Amino acid sequence: MTEGRYLKDKAWLYLPFFLFLLVISLIILLLPYDTVYVRDRTYLAAFLVSIVLCVGVFFLGTLYNVLVWMQGKGLEGAPERRLLHLLWKGSRFVLSRRFGRALSVFLKDALYLSRLKDRSVLRWFMHLMILGGFIVMFLLDLLVTFSLDFVKYQPMISEDGWAKLWIRDFAFDLVGSMVLLGLCIAAVRRFVFKPKIVRTELPDAVSIVFLLLVVLGGFLLEGIGIAGRIPGHEVNVSYSFLGYLFSLAMPAGVGQYYDQVWLIHGVMSALLIAYIPFSKLFHMIASPIAIEADGLLSNKEARAT
Amino acid sequence: MKKLDISKLDVLALMRYDACTRCGECTATCPTGGEAQDVELVTPRGKILRLREFYRSQYGLRARLLGPKDIPEDQLKELASRAYECTICGQCKTVCPAHLDTIEMWENMREFLVANNLAPLPAHEEIIKSIENYDNPWMQPRTQRSRWSKRIEKEVKVKDALKERCEVLFFVGCTAAYDPNIRDMAVDTARVLGSARVDFGTLGNDEGCCGSTLLRTGLIDSAKKSAEKNIALFEKVSPSFIVTSCAGCYKTIRQDYPRLGKVSAKVVHATQLVGELIEDKKLVPSKRIDAKVTFHDPCHLGRHNKLYDEPRKILESIPGLKLVEMERTREESRCCGAGGGVKTAFPDLAQKIAAMRVEDAEKTGADILATSCPFCYQSLKAALEAKGSRIRMADLMELVRESCA
Repeated sequence: MTEGRYLKDKAWLYLPFFLFLLVISLIILLLPYDTVYVRDRTYLAAFLVSIVLCVGVFFLGTLYNVLVWMQGKGLEGAPERRLLHLLWKGSRFVLSRRFGRALSVFLKDALYLSRLKDRSVLRWFMHLMILGGFIVMFLLDLLVTFSLDFVKYQPMISEDGWAKLWIRDFAFDLVGSMVLLGLCIAAVRRFVFKPKIVRTELPDAVSIVFLLLVVLGGFLLEGIGIAGRIPGHEVNVSYSFLGYLFSLAMPAGVGQYYDQVWLIHGVMSALLIAYIPFSKLFHMIASPIAIEADGLLSNKEARAT
Repeated sequence: MKKLDISKLDVLALMRYDACTRCGECTATCPTGGEAQDVELVTPRGKILRLREFYRSQYGLRARLLGPKDIPEDQLKELASRAYECTICGQCKTVCPAHLDTIEMWENMREFLVANNLAPLPAHEEIIKSIENYDNPWMQPRTQRSRWSKRIEKEVKVKDALKERCEVLFFVGCTAAYDPNIRDMAVDTARVLGSARVDFGTLGNDEGCCGSTLLRTGLIDSAKKSAEKNIALFEKVSPSFIVTSCAGCYKTIRQDYPRLGKVSAKVVHATQLVGELIEDKKLVPSKRIDAKVTFHDPCHLGRHNKLYDEPRKILESIPGLKLVEMERTREESRCCGAGGGVKTAFPDLAQKIAAMRVEDAEKTGADILATSCPFCYQSLKAALEAKGSRIRMADLMELVRESCA
């Protein structure tokens, strides 16, 4: 390949990529954040800087990992060109008839984890709680951000609105509890029961502890908000059932630390996102692709007739 | 500093290394890394993590920023050796929650090791030389390949497919053709085909090694040469079917050859063809064999090709024969320990695994342990003899021949 062609391939990949990063960053930075209850807006600014940086690191790390895959055999040209080729094929695939099959493979094997269920119900349940919890939490986050910051949906904003109580308070606590339950099972299994097939090295321990700290930090923050009667946490607090339980254990006057804890929780969540491509958590991205590859390519090796 | 060349690892394999969740499901049932010996590096998870650690230290982000790390030669050699302590049985593929196609991964890992001058192992080199020089792994002259058919030349019409047109091409395979202890497998298959009046022939002394051993040990270029020779002969003969009695040849011709060239004929295993002949009443097992039989699924036939029902249907069609299943059967079947070059390089390990499979068979109370693969037959028979077991080892075609006599 000529140098000119190579640079062109690089430009075609990196320009849209950085444009995408810029758009994401601008969305993050320009949202109004009216319902973020930190009193000192410097904390909000610090969080926004950290989340923009961490999201950037996440996407760059992911791109770098994928470009390492692209150095393998089976495709032609420079890694960037190979990736572009695959992205192009992928976009056409979305419109093809096989997409339905890919979707069913994704739902059955990547989300529902059907094979794991056949082998160990406990581990399947544990994974489903963690994975399902995070996915639903992410979707809820999108929904809440959209309804709060874009359409200013009042029932989502007002203290006693149905959407505020059932979605922002109850549903978030529910999915957070699911993740917490899954993580607790994982931690007890890994650190207490230590089954023979489990091998705990530093990356395994860091991932699980990191996740636990982020999820527990969320409930702790909510507990502080309720105990300190921070705006947004003043009426019908029992809808945030787990946060409410945490608040019962909080000392008086804890509300004054709400901003600091909010920032710590926010930065830790951002760091967790940045950590994904460099940790075992990257399997969250690679495993569904492997499952799709198996589901779609195994047709070729289908049972002999 | 030795820089690893990852361009020999498949794009899909590199993605799969990252998709491993480190759950360890594969370690419990891995016959070589988990059951016969407790060595993490031999298990699928161990190999994946170690190789990923190596190539990431030279190609990862840290390597890009701070420069690639040198990997000590002894660590590379250890990985190479451990990677060959795998029978490529595919049990890990069956259990992997991330659906990693580990069969492809291990074969590709070996190709990568060969490309990086870390393999093949010295124990495999002799076999490889034999295939390259004699077209068989047994150091036997080409002229002896069709010797097995002399015993039945008056009884069964085995055509020379290169001279006479025939409907079915019987690809005998090196082990059945050359190993005097396995030769009956070829003889019995030919007898069974003859009894059903199948119009069949062989490539005689021109048949070459299918290349399975070369492919499984990572020698892709040599395997391609073997495959191309055979494919040219298949196209010259142009039969409707190619039938093999060897599970390894079946996997290679059916799955690997189409990646290397065009095979026009339909490739079937003897169990498929014979099963159909029995179903169509062209072959009627009539003589009783009063015994309990258990079937060992060869990995290349079962997990690699999903042929589980055909051999069982054949056994159930034989009067008097009662099929009893081992606890681990079909997709969960325990490997015999011989595949993937393990028997050649690590005979003690292979023997240990075969002994475990024999114990599985003994627990069923079976009188006969049947299979459909010359390697499984060889290793299980040796394990039965070593254990002094009362169980008789039998090839499936042997039982069909007995019943159709």
